Amino acid sequence: MSDWKERGAEKIFLLSTIISSSITLLILGFMAFMALPLLRGGLFYLLTEPWAPQQGLYGIYPMILGTAVISLLSLLFAFPLSLGCSFLISSIGPKSLSAAFRRMVQMMTGIPTVIYGFVGIFLLVPVIRELFQSGSGMCIFTASLMLGVLIAPTMILFFCDSFDRVPRSYIDAADSLGANRAQTLLYVIIPLARKGIFIGVLLAFGRAMGDTLVSLMIAGNSIATPGSLLDSVRTLTAHIALVIAADYESPEFRSIFACGLVLYLFIAVVILAVRRLAFRESGKRA
Amino acid sequence: MRKKCIVTVLAMIFSLFVLTAGGVAGELDAFKGQRGTLKISGGTAHIPVMKEAAQRIMSAYPDIQISIAAGGSGVGIKQVGEGLVNIGNTGRKPTDDEIARYQLKLHQWALDGVGVVVSPKNRVKALTKAQVMDIFTGRINNWKGVGGENRKINLYTRDEASGTREVFWEKALDKQPISPSANVVVSNGAMKSAIAQDPYGIGYVSVGHIDRTVAPVALDGVIPTIKTVKEGKYKIVRGLYSNTKGEPTGLTRAFINYLYTPEGRKITEKEGFIPFP
Amino acid sequence: MKRTGEKLTIWYSWTCGLILSAAVFSILAYLVFKGAGTLNMKLIFGDASPLRAVFLQQRVFEGLFPAIVGTFILVALSIAFALPIGFATGIYLAEYADFRVKNAFNLIFDILAGIPSIVVGLFGFALAVFLHKHYSSSIQPCLLISSLALAFLVLPYIIRTTQIALEGLSPDTRLTALALGATKLQNLFYVLIPQSLSGMVSGLILAIGRCAEDTAVIMLTGVVVAAGVPKSALAPYEALPFYIYYISSQYTSPEELMNGYGAALILLLLCLFLFTLAFVIKKRLTYLAFYRP
Repeated sequence: MSDWKERGAEKIFLLSTIISSSITLLILGFMAFMALPLLRGGLFYLLTEPWAPQQGLYGIYPMILGTAVISLLSLLFAFPLSLGCSFLISSIGPKSLSAAFRRMVQMMTGIPTVIYGFVGIFLLVPVIRELFQSGSGMCIFTASLMLGVLIAPTMILFFCDSFDRVPRSYIDAADSLGANRAQTLLYVIIPLARKGIFIGVLLAFGRAMGDTLVSLMIAGNSIATPGSLLDSVRTLTAHIALVIAADYESPEFRSIFACGLVLYLFIAVVILAVRRLAFRESGKRA
Repeated sequence: MRKKCIVTVLAMIFSLFVLTAGGVAGELDAFKGQRGTLKISGGTAHIPVMKEAAQRIMSAYPDIQISIAAGGSGVGIKQVGEGLVNIGNTGRKPTDDEIARYQLKLHQWALDGVGVVVSPKNRVKALTKAQVMDIFTGRINNWKGVGGENRKINLYTRDEASGTREVFWEKALDKQPISPSANVVVSNGAMKSAIAQDPYGIGYVSVGHIDRTVAPVALDGVIPTIKTVKEGKYKIVRGLYSNTKGEPTGLTRAFINYLYTPEGRKITEKEGFIPFP
Repeated sequence: MKRTGEKLTIWYSWTCGLILSAAVFSILAYLVFKGAGTLNMKLIFGDASPLRAVFLQQRVFEGLFPAIVGTFILVALSIAFALPIGFATGIYLAEYADFRVKNAFNLIFDILAGIPSIVVGLFGFALAVFLHKHYSSSIQPCLLISSLALAFLVLPYIIRTTQIALEGLSPDTRLTALALGATKLQNLFYVLIPQSLSGMVSGLILAIGRCAEDTAVIMLTGVVVAAGVPKSALAPYEALPFYIYYISSQYTSPEELMNGYGAALILLLLCLFLFTLAFVIKKRLTYLAFYRP
């Protein structure tokens, strides 16, 4: 009798798992299904044409470029910063300060995205506008700065985690050879945590690509292909938020599903890459 | 004799009270006994009027729930056509195609204009139509080209669902394409706050929304104000419509009628539009 | 040469730490400075009396109360959807699945965790439109659809924390009850789950925080500018993060902007509170689990 209960329970758990996983696949399915007419019309054109609905052009190329540039630039800002902070937390800083700093970084991950966007509009945009004496302040540069601050805490925590994973024995060995904190960090910990750092960067990149509010509120949302860092630009995510209003049958509406599809596939690639790396790393260790 | 006078006067005053009180109550009376939800979405210019009207109705009759969403004229038409909302507001007249497709019934309750605005700090206060066209298509991109400082012009435009944009593009720009490098904002309110914060920005906004935070720009000598729109001097005008799918009934009907009552018209005026008809 | 490299590293780390602290501090200080003055009853309840508004006897216009209630109900509904399924899935993956199956599912849930929130919102919207057209015309973007979409968003969090919490138990703990004759299910409910409760609860609270702060999903699935306190799950509603977004781009007066600052401050405090709560609970439950008095 309890065997029946056991098997029943297992079936229920299995059912939940199937439901959860089917959601992931359903999302992909819906995106592909809704974007299908547009995709059929020519995938190449979709990905390389500019966006000009009044001239019948529904390409999402400017948005792809916008997402790519803002994500990469924010990574450029955030990576050195995060690396330095994680050095501080895990090795260089004195124990009590590191613990407090880590707490602060953990708290930062709890700050809502909309707050970053809100403060960005009123604090950062005017500053950038006056600093560069050109443009409206709502541009790639500003959005990347804010996005960098947004993704930095997650990267820092991830790096610290990777540093902490370095086996104690290696650190002890370095200590016994007389290395100080900085030397241990530079010559022992970092080389061993290289993979972890790379994975952290990839994950942060995925996060930066998927962010909507910062670019919606701060990047200007113009449909032109950006020419300089001070140009207003639209990302794939902001495009979805802006065009959701259009007619359900129109190619404009379908283009947002194409954006969703591009984002989904790119994230899937990033996740697969991360897993490949993680497996190789743990494989080597074992 | 005197007593009679006093009584008559008192009676007149009393009946005046009764009549006006009856009048006011009568306007909201149409909602008596109504319950349920009324969903409104669409044009962002209409929102202040919608909010005020909704507030008065809901205060008097707590059983009624009115929800207001934004999105732009395109969204309004779409959602009312699909049956997702009861009233779809538009800042432009729906096309014949849209009317036929969704069986729309139009109810215009206000007249409004679309005016070019700049920051109050900008010293450029008047432009010709040709200059406006050149600026918005990107042919002129520095303020010194129209008599301002030597700074790049920051263009602001609306998203594609916007009726305000449609009207501006048709009537002020003669359907010329707006420069793709313009910043896109999602509502009249957003346009206002963007222009208010950017000393070198230029955009267009509903005339009813223009207040101290932005400065209107005269077009061919005519400043866009409610007065010039009413007098017909300012040419970029548009109507504010509330559209329904088919003939409105029940709560929807009561709401639309309310917009045409004296109280409704007062609200329209208060928010800066011209009551229509 | 090496010495300077090391000195540089130290100097560099401290500078980075300083820059980050300055950035965070300026963001928080700016909000507190601008918003602290508006934190009073009027911000939340507008012109209505607080007591009557809380008991839903009086409508609140121009106040944050409907948005706060909307967020609250939204979070409750989403967690109600996500918790049972996420929990069960985590248990299955930790206890019942074999290696290859576990790997495959882990990949799927990692992808689900990585999907941008706006794509999840888009899915929710498409789902609502699809159901509206083909099943019942009373289904439309509303509180129910939003909470479903949010549930999809936080499902991977709950699954992952449950799975990690269960997998983190030592083999001794796992085998003891089994050795005494307990069935797998009994082991699960009487030993394993209580032991990993702290991890699961902190995961739950993080999911709550995520639901409370998300804007992209609700923007596409039913949140509106003005709707009062939602009377049913099929009604449109207001929410705090959307209010902040809306005010930031379309404030019609300086007073409204001040309200926006106040709302931002409230949301910030709420999320930080939830975060601290998760941390405290994790610590306390670990303490209770190990040092049962």
